[in-house]
Amino acid sequence: MSPELLFQQALNGLSFGALLFILAAGLSLVFGMMDVVNLAHGAFYMLGAYVALTVVQFTGSFWLALAAAPVALGALGLAIEPLLLRHLRGRHLDQVLLTIGVSLVIVDLIGLIWGREVRSLPFPPGLDGTVVLIGGVYPVYRLFVIAFGVALAAVIAVIYRRTKLGMLIRAGVEDAEMLGALGVNTDRLFALTFAVGAALAGLAGVIAAPVFGLQPGMDVDALLYSLVVVVVGGLGTLGGAVAGSVLVGPVDTFGKVLFQEFALAVIFAIVALVLLFKPTGLLGRIRIAR
Amino acid sequence: MTRAARWVALAAVAVGLVTFPYWSAAWESSRFATTVLRDMLVFAIFALSLDILVGHAGMPSLGHAAFFGGGAYAAGIASQRLGTDQLPITLAAAVLVAALLALVIGLLVVRSEGIFLLMLTLALAQIVFAIAFQWTAVTGGSNGLAGVSRPTLFGIDLSAPDRMYVLVAATFLVVSLLIWSLMRSPYGRALTGVRENERRMRALGYDTTRLKLSAFVVAGMIAGVAGALSAYSQRFVSPGDAGIGTSVQAFVMVLIGGAGTILGPVLGAGVVMYIQRVLSSAIPVSETVLGLVFIGFVLLARQGIVGLGRAAYARVRAP
Repeated sequence: MSPELLFQQALNGLSFGALLFILAAGLSLVFGMMDVVNLAHGAFYMLGAYVALTVVQFTGSFWLALAAAPVALGALGLAIEPLLLRHLRGRHLDQVLLTIGVSLVIVDLIGLIWGREVRSLPFPPGLDGTVVLIGGVYPVYRLFVIAFGVALAAVIAVIYRRTKLGMLIRAGVEDAEMLGALGVNTDRLFALTFAVGAALAGLAGVIAAPVFGLQPGMDVDALLYSLVVVVVGGLGTLGGAVAGSVLVGPVDTFGKVLFQEFALAVIFAIVALVLLFKPTGLLGRIRIAR
Repeated sequence: MTRAARWVALAAVAVGLVTFPYWSAAWESSRFATTVLRDMLVFAIFALSLDILVGHAGMPSLGHAAFFGGGAYAAGIASQRLGTDQLPITLAAAVLVAALLALVIGLLVVRSEGIFLLMLTLALAQIVFAIAFQWTAVTGGSNGLAGVSRPTLFGIDLSAPDRMYVLVAATFLVVSLLIWSLMRSPYGRALTGVRENERRMRALGYDTTRLKLSAFVVAGMIAGVAGALSAYSQRFVSPGDAGIGTSVQAFVMVLIGGAGTILGPVLGAGVVMYIQRVLSSAIPVSETVLGLVFIGFVLLARQGIVGLGRAAYARVRAP
């Protein structure tokens, strides 16, 4: 591998890692707070991409889509938590199963509304070009994804560490029951958490759409990759989502170059190894709830 | 009903089930119904095998398709590479491969539980899927394995649709009887004990890890049988057979029907296959219906159709 190619692949890996962070942050947040592995996360991601497609078709603005999709998904999350998940509070496994049903419904309705053929979202104007970097041309949009991922991580970190909401989230991740006993309205906090998780999935869907396109099955890919990231990094912590995505993005990208046919198997083998030997993930410290 | 009468009724239903294509031949939709019923029964076997884990041993697995797919590929590849359509050979290959996969995966997962087990089985099954999807030279890769031949048994060619159906239905009866008796045996009771309270079972001297591992292997082998039957029926194996969608499908069947029972997974397979194969041609949103039905059962009737039936029966019997 030439140095130029190596550098390009490294950037590709980082760019994919940044996308994975946006995708996995929501899953990780929901798990940390509610002990629920949201198996509809991939469906939320897919819906975000399709909402963006429609917004771009009607307004021509990628940036409007980037704002509208998370809002739409957040509203959906805000509805689903009290309508469905809340009734099974404390029954984590059943909540996980419930999200399977939610994802079946969402994915099927997407197929009904938007059709089942492969669609694409154009790169936003201004970000559709390439730049010359260390002797090679490189798409600007991928650099934008890296910048966006880093910025989002910074924003989340500030909210996490510096605001009252962040304090409540940290406390909820530590012990939601105790938080409730202290007089915090955990119902509202859980609904908000689930909404933010869904909104982040929708955001990732918009960001990813110009690169990966829109097609049936993208929900499963997104769900699997986000599970991989949070499992490797550590469930339920922000640092874990960062570590997981920074690790999995490049490993996946180089794996596809080096192992070609078996890259996917390698990724899941890593997940299995982490689950077996460090079940809380590389940075995790969360107990795994039954 | 007395015990004997119940057995006679059951035997009559069994005979009726196996001979369905023959006595329904006059019906104009007989061929279609036979195909749908055949696929229902293949999935009933698959769901029954998953229920050994989910319902009886209390091990929720989202990776059961690894064994279904493994069995399907093993049967297909064995038939093509060995150039044989002998049922005992290809079926043995399927069961063997599924058992090996289940042993390896089982060894890795038996100490986990709950959501954690769910994710570990999912990740490990994804490895099997990835191999099926990407090892083009052996599995046909994303195109799948086409042209699987239908088997012969003792010189009887089972390639005709009605004979293929009889093979599936007869296997279904054998498997359900097997699981029924296994779950009533001391072994099955011990598994239930593990589900209810593993620590107590350990304190009573049971090697619960070995119990769970053996349940994993038995369930995997039966899933392999279902996979082989699917390969014969469809004459095709798709990487999706080993994918998360197939695992989810089986889980949905078990939960809708009622986990921990024999009738439940069978009814669940019937409902799900009816929605996916029959209702889907009538309405465009059949998967949405399936999702809503599933959500309804998880929210309101976690014991499934069988649980609803038992509750209704108890209400009728109550004074």
